Formats: sequence, structure tokens, C-alpha cells
Amino acid sequence: MKKLCFFLFLFVGLGNQIIAQMPNDHVYMAKKDICAAVIYSNTSWNQYWENTLFRDNQNLGTVSTQSYMLMAAYGLKDNTNLIASIPYVQTNASAGNLLGQKGIQDAGIWVKQKVQISKGLNSQFVGGITVPVSNYVSEFMPLSIGNKATDLQVRGMLTYQIPNTKFYTNALVGYHLRGVSKLDRDSYLNGITMINTATADVPDAMEASFKVGYLKWDNQVELYVDHFACVSGDNMRRNDMPFPTNKTMMTSVGIYGKYQPKNIGVNARIQHVLQGVNTAQMTTYSVGLLYQFTLLK
Amino acid sequence: MKILNKKYKNILSLIPSYLLLLTSYLLLQSCTKLELETVAEPYLPASLNESGGNWKTFVLANGSEITVSKPLDVKDASYLKELDSLKNNVVGKLSPEQSQAVNYWGAGAVYRWNEIARELAALYNLPPAANANGVYPVPDAANPKADPMFPFANPPYTARALAYLSVAQYDALITTWKAKYTYNRPAAYTVDTQIKPLLPVSTLPAYPSEEAVVAQASYQILLAMFPGEADYLKSKLDEAKNIGIWAGKNVTSDVSAGLKLGADVATKVMGRAKTDGMGSANNQALVPGLVEHAKATGINNPWASQESPIRPPMLPNYGAVKTWNFDRVTLEKIRPAKPYVDGSAEFQKDLEELQSIQKNQTREQARIANYWADGPGSYTPPGHWHRIAANEALAAKYSEIKMARVLAFIGTALMDAGIGCWETKYFYYSPRPQQYGLKTSVGLPNFPSYTSGHSTFSFAGATVMNYFFPEKADLFNNYAQDASDSRVYGLIHFRADCTMGREHGKNIGSYSVTRAKLDE
Repeated sequence: MKKLCFFLFLFVGLGNQIIAQMPNDHVYMAKKDICAAVIYSNTSWNQYWENTLFRDNQNLGTVSTQSYMLMAAYGLKDNTNLIASIPYVQTNASAGNLLGQKGIQDAGIWVKQKVQISKGLNSQFVGGITVPVSNYVSEFMPLSIGNKATDLQVRGMLTYQIPNTKFYTNALVGYHLRGVSKLDRDSYLNGITMINTATADVPDAMEASFKVGYLKWDNQVELYVDHFACVSGDNMRRNDMPFPTNKTMMTSVGIYGKYQPKNIGVNARIQHVLQGVNTAQMTTYSVGLLYQFTLLK
Repeated sequence: MKILNKKYKNILSLIPSYLLLLTSYLLLQSCTKLELETVAEPYLPASLNESGGNWKTFVLANGSEITVSKPLDVKDASYLKELDSLKNNVVGKLSPEQSQAVNYWGAGAVYRWNEIARELAALYNLPPAANANGVYPVPDAANPKADPMFPFANPPYTARALAYLSVAQYDALITTWKAKYTYNRPAAYTVDTQIKPLLPVSTLPAYPSEEAVVAQASYQILLAMFPGEADYLKSKLDEAKNIGIWAGKNVTSDVSAGLKLGADVATKVMGRAKTDGMGSANNQALVPGLVEHAKATGINNPWASQESPIRPPMLPNYGAVKTWNFDRVTLEKIRPAKPYVDGSAEFQKDLEELQSIQKNQTREQARIANYWADGPGSYTPPGHWHRIAANEALAAKYSEIKMARVLAFIGTALMDAGIGCWETKYFYYSPRPQQYGLKTSVGLPNFPSYTSGHSTFSFAGATVMNYFFPEKADLFNNYAQDASDSRVYGLIHFRADCTMGREHGKNIGSYSVTRAKLDE
């Protein structure tokens, strides 16, 4: 049975507001198959954790981020896939007077590989990188479209398919080795220290997630919980705005579904942040249109 | 055999992953470099400014108003005992931390204390949050670590804090230079050549210790300005005052005389600060009268806070604070003319310029707006100009007293600019572009629009910098023009706010220059 398009984007690394999508699935494209997708997502929040203080801000109202992403996955081999993506992102605040930002954000490329351990159990490796591809402003948070830092990601996953069923569980741990954000200003506070340069260190982060799901050849439903935590960084000061150096942490839950009867399919997701530090209580909705074809031999 | 082959294939199939990972890693390395800060290091001053003791002071009558007692001769037994103690207990016995401190403070006592003050300004530059009742609590000097912290080191506050710091340092160093060249007591390493100096050797007399003078004076001013930082400032004082001893330059009586002088000068300077009118700068009771006055002047749509809940305007009576380099009559005489009012063709033209920028802001405009924004969490525009001035004076290898001189004339010009600009803002109480539907890409300050504080501060700063560093006048004028334009690009000022602020700033800066020229 031929596998159809897989796309699972975890909306982690939102930093303070923004999207870093990544493919985190155990489903693979067959060799020489290509799946192309257009995914629209909308993330919004009206409350956030200023350090640990949960608050609203009448001068922001509801902050929303819309993203239009082009993605493609290609079956290099049956057990090795390449994935690439590029998003256009637009932000807006419903109250106050901060000007929304827009632009092409960070392009990403990943490879994922699977090794069968035993019947029903396989392990996977995902490695990739996202790189800012436009000179967007990163220091105008929370309206900036991203952190503007490269993000090298490695992940290990274990997937277990319950024998003779369509049900599976998947556990994942990952690490984000993140670079520096090029600022327009040449001085900023990192914690209580004034740094007199135009680059800010974007802290590395750990992630972990656990999923349970149902997968048939033409459809898939999945529930998951996801945790993302920077390993260093500073906290937001009282009544200050977020900054790329912040030590963000968040735990979210989500549901994902896909329906793809033929070459054309759709997917959708809802994700919500339950708890966080130096981040917003974001809710994300996304829908995608998938199209699969085979590369001519 | 078949199994082996399969395993081998599996390993081979992993190669693309590793290649991608390696490429990614290399790419990350190439974009991940944190810039290193320029490290200021000890240097031999280009000139010792031997006659600096005759320069004109700001608060003291002159460099002789405070008497520094005559030191003991270097042949005196008590002096020799101090020297022995230095040789036996200090020289060659510094901890790594002490050696590091010598190198750090050796770049310049005035330079370092100015840097510390800018950092504190940034840490305290956050507007209070509204409480549950929608009220903005006023920071309380008696309870500086509470929420909201005291002070809210906004631009006027920071301009003033840095001005008093620089004036205290300058007046103290003029007195210090006077005493140094009156008594001419040489450095310990000159008296005893067995003492190996850890800082560049000069003929500057050692009594009183300039590091100790500056440390004590700076400590007292900064403690008054940032009362929540007592422990931090004390730790800096304890280190900074001993630098001369650790470097093999000073004996203890050089330092104790320096501490006493620093304290005396700081007390005098704080005497001015306590009565300069800052205590009533936030007199919100004046606001209704100010609005009425503006309306009577013809401002048909006065400024209104765009924040929610409505925030009281920032320091509405800061314009009444005592100026440094001109008097009250002059302040009113040089106040910019009435702004264009809503409904005039000129106002409409300025509004349309902003509307056009909002639609098509270029990346370069955004960069300039962000670079000069110096908003909440920053050292503010006055801090930015202090940084520019301190770094120029460092590059020019200025002596402690010349460094303090540049910063005192810059600092007083910036505070005067703040006072002149705030007086103008509340005199006309003119509206912000956001009252006409515009957004901002830098954040909106909570006070009237006309004239632009950035423009006034920056051109006052540039005017003083041009006097001290005439060969770099183009650079400073460009900085000031960018800082001024940045407020139009960031959409929070009308063009006229900036052009009129520029002329006002130049004018204010020229009074500081006129005063500086008295020492020529």
C-alpha cells in the first residue's frame, strides 16, 4: 500500500510569538515520490507570560500571526526523505498602535531517516536547519515575524505501531542549536548586562513530544503534547517587551488530522499553549492542501 | 552474508543525513558568531592637561573652593611607612580579580562610571505597569525595588542623572588637578623604583588619587539617582577606589584624600540637584492648565495619551527644572515657534509624508528608526550621546580630566536640551501622528509631539561633539540627522517636530560650547 503525503508541523520554537515549523512524523514518502503542500496557519494570543507573570496587555489586544507556507517532501529512498519549506509571515496587533510586520521568514531543509528495530518498532533521525532568508526586523517583538537566527535541529524518535492495528505512539526528543540574531540597534540588555554590539544570542532549546495516533493509508488523526524549553537566556523584565535572548518555555497540546483519498488531500491542526514562561498563550489553527506525484524515472 | 550486506546498505543510506547535518553545522557556525565588544584598555593619555586645575567648574566656585590638605612629604616617616605597606602587602600579591579590576578601571575611572550609569539607566528605563484598577503607580524613591521600580529612567531622568554624574566628576577632577599640581607628590612607583607599575607610567602627581576621587563622587551621585542599587554601587566603589594602590601608583593617603574630596564635591553637587526643581517635574496637577493654555495658543487638537488605560504624561513640569548653560529668560526666548496646526496645509503635508512611509517604509528607514529608537530598556538618547562622547574621548586618549570635561559639557547640554524640549512640548501640547490613525514601528512615547526630543538631544549633543572633535563634525551631524529622521521613519513625529527640534538643539548645544570656550 502506497503511503500518501505526511506533513506534521509542530509549532514549537514560537519563541515569543513566531513560527518555526518542522516535520516530525514517522510517515515516509516512497522513493521518488514528491508531496507538495500549501499550508495556511493562524496563531493568536491575548495573554502572555511576562517572565512567569501571566497578563494581558490592552496596548496589544490580540496579537495574530498568519503564515502561508510552501512545503515539499521528496522520497530519496523509501526510508530517507528530504523536506523543504519556506513561509511568508504577517503579524498584527488588534489594539494599540504597533505596526504589523510581514515578510518571508526562515527557509528550512530537513532529512529524516528511519531504521526498523523490530516489527512495529522503528527509530528515526531527523536533522535539519532553518535559516532566515530575508532581512526582517527581529527586535520589534512581539510584532517581529521571527527571531532571525539560524536553527540547527536534531531529533530522535521512536514509533511503535500496535500489532495488527492502525494505532501508534511516538516519542521524540530534540535539540535546537540556535545562532545569533542580527539587530538594527547596537546595544541591548541581556539580563542585567548591557551588551554593546548588534548581535544577540538566541538561546539553544530542548524539545520533547509524545503522540498517539491512528494512521490508515488515506487518513490520519493524532493527539500530542509538546514541550519546548530554552536551555539559557534572560527573562522579560517587568512591563518590558520580549526579546530574542529570552529564555522561553512552553508546554502545548494539539490535534492533527489528514485526509487524502487520492493525490490531492488536506490536513488541519489545532494547537494550544497550556503553560509557558516568557512566551504567549498561543492558539494555532492551520489547514493545508496537499498534492502528491511521482518524479518521472 | 545477506544480513551483513543489508546492514552495510543501511549505513550507506545514512550518508545523506550526515552530509546535510555537517553542511548545516558549518552554515550555522558561519552565521552564529556573536560580535565581540570592543574592550577599552588602559592607555597613556595624549596629554596630562597640567593646567586643568584652572578650568571653570560647574557647581563649585572654582578648583580651589574645596581645600585638599597638604600631603606629607615623600621623605616623611609616615609616608615611608605607607610605601612599605604598599611594597610588602600589595605589590606582587594581587588576586586575579584585583589584577582584572586594575585592567578594567585602568581604561578610565570617568569612562567606566559613565558606562555603569548608562547600564543602570537601561535597567531602570521601563514605564510602570497599570495596576488592577487601571492606575499607574508612581515609582517611590523610598521603596526603589518595589513594582514599579524607582526611578523610571526615561530620557529626561537619564539626561539629568548623567549630567550630575559628569558635573560631579568634572568639578572633582578640576579640584584634584589643582591639588596635584600644587603639591606635586609623585606616584609611589616614581618614589620607589622597585615598585612595578601595573598601569601606563606618567608624570601625573599622585595626590590625591583621581580614581578614588571619581569613585567616591560617582558613587554618591549614582546612589542618589538609583537608590535601589546600593549594594551594587558599593561593590564598584570598593574596587574602584583601590585601583591606584593595586597599580602601584598610590599610597593609602593618596586614596583617603581622594575619597574625602570626592565626597565633598558630590555633596555640593547633590545640593544643586536637590533644589533644581526635579521634585515637582511630575506635577500632574498642572496638566489641565497646560491643555487650556495650548488651546488658547491655537492648538485645536491637543495631545492625548494613546495608551490604555490612559497614562498620565511623562514629567509635564520637567521644563521648569534648572538649566545649566543658560537662564530662564533665554530658555523662553529660544523656545521654537508654534507648530503647524491641524487643518493647515503644512500640517497636512507632514501628515501625508507619514502616511506614505507607513505604506512603503523601506528597510533602511526601519533600520535607522530601530538603531536610534533608544526606547524602553535602553540607555535613552542622552545615554546614546554619552556613549558616543565617551568612546571618542577614549579613542583620542584623553586624560581623566579631559574625559570628564567632554562628558560634562555633553551632559549639561543634553540635560538643557531635555529641559528646553520638555518646556516646548508642554507649552504647545501638540498631538502625535497616532491621533491621526498612524501606527508606529518603534513604539509611541507618552507625551506631546512638538518638538522631537531625539532631534533636540541629538543636535545639542552633536554641536558639543563638533566643538571637541571638529575633524569629525560630519560624522556627528550625520548621526544627529539620522536620529532626528528616525522619528519620522518610525512614524511618531511630524517632520516639523524634527526640523524645529534640530534648530532648537543646535542652539542649546551652542550655549554649552560658549561656556567651554571660556577655558580656551
